[in-house]
Amino acid sequence: MDKKTGVYICHCGLGGSTETEEILKKLPKGSIVKDSQYLCDITEQELLIKDINEKDLEQVVVACFASDVHRSIFKKVGDEVGFLPNLIKIEESDDVVEKIIAALDDLKPIKPEETEVDVNPSVLVIGAGIVGEQASLDIGDAGYKVYLVERRPNIGGHMAQLDKTFPTLDCASCIGTPKMVATGQHPNIELLTCSEVIEVSGHAGEFKVKVLRHPRYVDENECTGCGICVDNCPAVVASEFNLGVGPRKAIYIPFAQAIPLAAIRDPEHCLSCRMCEYVCDKKAIRFDQEEEIIEFEVGSILVTTGFELFNCDLRPELGYDKYDRVINALELERLCAPTGPTAGEILIHGKPPKNIVFVQCVGSRDKNVGNEYCSRVCCMYATKQCNLVREKVPDAKFTICYTDIRAFGKGHEEFYNRMQDEGVIYLRGIVSEVYRGENGMMKVRVENTLMVEPVELEADLVVLSAGLVAPADTPQLANMLNLDVGDDKFLAEAHVNIRPMETRVKGIYMAGCAQGPKDISDSVAQTSGAAAKATIPISFGKVKIGPEDEVKVVKETTATAAPIEKEVTG
Amino acid sequence: MEFVDEIIETGGPILGSEHMETLRVCMQCGKCTGGCPSGRLTAIRTRKMILSALLNMRDEVLSSDELWLCTTCYTCYERCPRNVKVTDITRTIRNIAGREGYLAKSHRMAASYVIKTGHGVPINDAVKESRKKLGLSEIPPTTHAYKDALKGIQTLAKKTKFDELIDFDWETMNLKE
Repeated sequence: MDKKTGVYICHCGLGGSTETEEILKKLPKGSIVKDSQYLCDITEQELLIKDINEKDLEQVVVACFASDVHRSIFKKVGDEVGFLPNLIKIEESDDVVEKIIAALDDLKPIKPEETEVDVNPSVLVIGAGIVGEQASLDIGDAGYKVYLVERRPNIGGHMAQLDKTFPTLDCASCIGTPKMVATGQHPNIELLTCSEVIEVSGHAGEFKVKVLRHPRYVDENECTGCGICVDNCPAVVASEFNLGVGPRKAIYIPFAQAIPLAAIRDPEHCLSCRMCEYVCDKKAIRFDQEEEIIEFEVGSILVTTGFELFNCDLRPELGYDKYDRVINALELERLCAPTGPTAGEILIHGKPPKNIVFVQCVGSRDKNVGNEYCSRVCCMYATKQCNLVREKVPDAKFTICYTDIRAFGKGHEEFYNRMQDEGVIYLRGIVSEVYRGENGMMKVRVENTLMVEPVELEADLVVLSAGLVAPADTPQLANMLNLDVGDDKFLAEAHVNIRPMETRVKGIYMAGCAQGPKDISDSVAQTSGAAAKATIPISFGKVKIGPEDEVKVVKETTATAAPIEKEVTG
Repeated sequence: MEFVDEIIETGGPILGSEHMETLRVCMQCGKCTGGCPSGRLTAIRTRKMILSALLNMRDEVLSSDELWLCTTCYTCYERCPRNVKVTDITRTIRNIAGREGYLAKSHRMAASYVIKTGHGVPINDAVKESRKKLGLSEIPPTTHAYKDALKGIQTLAKKTKFDELIDFDWETMNLKE
């Protein structure tokens, strides 16, 4: 350590100035140590440049609170003096002197070696739920090519499984189907269903992408979705789209409005009788279809891989795996939906349920199962589901057992108010256990915390408001794209406040529940933002990249074995 | 010292301070009270007790009867969504209450059996019968079989002043009063 050094301590995030003298004592002759209040300010940076030039400083260290965010701010300094300040992240709990001295021991010069590259005018969007669709439509409308990769046989994601949306009680199909159709028909969107991204390399502006396309065993372009193959297929299995409530065939169309509207054959359950082939007028059945690798290049990547539903078996005291009168909220959604397996008729053991208890925070706000976060949608979807069931069963009674009601979105508090007005009982207390009483009805044990009294509610239907969790293979996806995973197991953003749609890799963005639980309103808002972010380098045409922006290829595939649709239930 | 700190400090050396610190993060959801097998039949309201401790209501908590109604079954401890170590916290509060002379009669009684027999629950005919059925010796190899060992336990009780804590009368070999 013999270089003339400038140490600048930016103390607005550190809560006060530090012992500059003590640091100076340990530095070579001609060095300086300065306490600065706002180094991110342009005037302060000009002073920094002046110092470097006048005092012939050979290296500069900036100790500040949020160094990850501030790297780009010192670009001007780099341009002027030929090297970039080394940023040291200091937190309030750190010993500032000790940390700076330790960092100086092993300081490597950073040259501003960014190069400018052309940007491929196309975007890869991974995951085609409402979030991936909206982003693709926005980017497509901006005039750029979109590769929309979806692992399942159809687009639409979880929203396609919903009956209605909160807080306005819009029919989910009525507002979701037009988006699906528009996505399927958009001239700039290339839809790759039954497909998974298996390798990404390159950098912002020019990512090389490999996609594995699983066989559908049906020619998507020839199939008209007439369903004659489905009608004639003899093999019946449980429908993943309907969460096992109701059947499907071994060759099937997941749901009536599916996009692309084409059948898919599930080889695991197919009896190979080839009846489908025999009855198909269009000759669209392809038993010999094989998986293929598709390669292309894009300028930006947008990750919109969504969520999975919490596995309620991890809270065994709630009896989800034991009692058929205990179901999860998405299953109730399928029972309510006119497109569902019961055509919207809600029957539990052959009768409409009259006493329904909702159990909130199942797998959310629960460190015990590793999910410390709030899932942000369950308070409102349970409130909504009371309305959905009431439409079908007007004399049903509803109790929502909650920890805290979180009605923070636009129109949410009003909706909560409305459902209280319509007689839904909100009981403050988390359900401790569910068991079957002698009369066969469910008993729900919960403390009415506001009355400080443990109570036992009787219910003919218990609905578990399951939380949202990160898709199980998020770590592999993160690995492939060189992204970070947060403590909540969702993908980590570059900064939660000011860079929520960016990732640690330049050119890779994310939106919706891939980043963390959020409702449809917030997801759609975020995805349009992320779409704009992803198109910025494309519309500019060039992007600056450094060596650290290169995506390292990870030789571990995220691809799963067929049947692909198994992923739906999570 | 605030009561909440006193509880954490008291339990810390035995259970670990991290374990005890969980007391602070109770979110008052009631999962403990709702499933408490004792509370179904008795007056114990686990969440209220934790809340009272957090609000530093020292006298109320230490003098309450419900403090002694926990059976230490650990159901609340297993289910708590914030991983609050409820049962261990309850036991620690009992230790403080014991020191302050609030030990419940039933607990003093059980403790007196430890001095008298070496067991909180001494062997009885039913247990002897069960042991025989299981192919075990009728009397277990404890103070029941080794009467000399009981002397050791009684010496320990005196040295640790356990006898004073529970108000044990060596003459009547029973609780005072």
